Amino acid sequence: MNWKLGFAATAIACVVLPFLVPQYSLTILIEALIFGLFAMSLDLMVGYCRLYSFGHAAAYGLGAYSTALILIHLQLPLPIGILLAVVVTVAFAVPIAWICTRSTGVSFAMLTLAFAQLGYAMLFRFRDTLGGSDGLVGIPQPAGPFGMTWFQDKIGYYYLVLGCLLGSYLLCRSIVRSPFGAVLAGIRENEAKTIALGYNTRSYKIATVVLSYAFGGLAGALYAGFAGFASPELFFWLTSGRVLIMVVVGGAGTLIGPIIGGVFFVYLEHQLSQVTDLWPLIFGSIFIAFVMFAPEGIWGILVNRFKARPQAPNAAGGKEATDAAA
Amino acid sequence: MPLLECRRLVRNFGALVAVDNVDMTVETGEIRAVIGPNGAGKSTVFNLITSVLRPTAGEVIFAGENITGLPVHAVAQKGIARTFQLCHVFPALTARENVRIAAQARDDQRWRFVAGGRVLAQSARIADEVLERIRLTRFADTPASMLSHGDQRLLEVAMAIAQRPRLLMLDEPTQGLSLEETDRAVQTLKDLLRGGNLSVLLVEHDMEVVFKLADNITVLHRGRVIADGPPAQVRANADVRRAYLGGTE
Repeated sequence: MNWKLGFAATAIACVVLPFLVPQYSLTILIEALIFGLFAMSLDLMVGYCRLYSFGHAAAYGLGAYSTALILIHLQLPLPIGILLAVVVTVAFAVPIAWICTRSTGVSFAMLTLAFAQLGYAMLFRFRDTLGGSDGLVGIPQPAGPFGMTWFQDKIGYYYLVLGCLLGSYLLCRSIVRSPFGAVLAGIRENEAKTIALGYNTRSYKIATVVLSYAFGGLAGALYAGFAGFASPELFFWLTSGRVLIMVVVGGAGTLIGPIIGGVFFVYLEHQLSQVTDLWPLIFGSIFIAFVMFAPEGIWGILVNRFKARPQAPNAAGGKEATDAAA
Repeated sequence: MPLLECRRLVRNFGALVAVDNVDMTVETGEIRAVIGPNGAGKSTVFNLITSVLRPTAGEVIFAGENITGLPVHAVAQKGIARTFQLCHVFPALTARENVRIAAQARDDQRWRFVAGGRVLAQSARIADEVLERIRLTRFADTPASMLSHGDQRLLEVAMAIAQRPRLLMLDEPTQGLSLEETDRAVQTLKDLLRGGNLSVLLVEHDMEVVFKLADNITVLHRGRVIADGPPAQVRANADVRRAYLGGTE
């Protein structure tokens, strides 16, 4: 009951929010949702398959730069451009996943990082096409298909992002609960045993990385379409680090936790950066505190709080009974 | 035609010959035990059959097909299920989920990431049946890590059964169990093996267990087969008594 109420309230809040907040806050809100989607995509690898990617910026950057190039040069309608960018990201993800999954643990993290940094370096190597340190600016939001223009204003774009986030979440949720997801749980718990049961775990890991890149690419594409520019920092390792922190603080292996983590950190960053230059320090402190004291993350804390509640009346009742007996 | 045939298997570790020209067969429906003192090469033979290790020489023939050197998961897909000497389960998952993932491994649609309801339901049904057979139903919703060591070992056997194997390989199923746990495990295994139409290859250290369960016994000593036959014959074999039973009989 509590759960349903909570979800209903969240859903209504998400729908009416753009009409209640000022334009400036709406910008942050959209960025927060995009980062929530980005963090959720990484959770597929980190939380469900124990594949610690330290290069997820590659997915974000690929999505953003593909969108930028498609929209600037081909003038395709924005939603189609975004979809195509996801396809491009997947095309890059397949060989990356194939190579990275040859190793595990720290070497996997280093390989993913290497690919992201390779992408970063390419931006400067092919300065004419990719813009170098200036990035790509002036990304249009072409109308269509069927003459649609509703996403060209901020409120419309908010709903576009919200829809993508919700759709991606539902898709990811059904994936982790599918037979495929059960195999991922096996890989996370004991990969050697999963292989001995007859699963070719490597191909499951490749599929997970590719799926994760697809959703991460979608996040990057939405960002480029919204911000109107794509800059090299999207590919930079700091982006990979930030999103990994969001996953851990939000609660890895829950999908919804990393969404909350992403939204939480984007907001916090905006608020803190207005007050002090030391905000990365606070960022880091929060991360350390969560790792040490609440490894289950924000969502884990919330779930425990809700789970504990039904037991509370019993405990109280028991106490009263004892008191009465005394 | 035997179900499993090891032909002159050899495995060296550096200068050590761990397995030395081992010939062994398992017929369909047979329960065969491999025994031998520590370091006799029992587990190595297991790992050679399941492709965890590659043989230095020799072949493994399963149902008429040469499976030597196939990837581990491919060997499992041929219909060979095994348990490990050091217990291998999925600790954070419930007993039912453990067995369900094992059952799912033999489903053609095991990879489905959308519309997999049929696969999940069918695997869950098999899991419940197997848990019932192995008498773990009361722990179906308990995380594997919360089970006693003995129950974890039985859970691993349940997972192997759920794979619906043509050959079941048990690597020291009573290793590390208390006396009561061993009795219970042996009783459960006995019922399971006598009841089902299973072909079994069993490595076991505990002689009592072996004589209770096996139709035939292969005795390894320093990587070589020194005796092969029914329990009574092996018990009477002079070489075996010298090499292995000498101290205990």
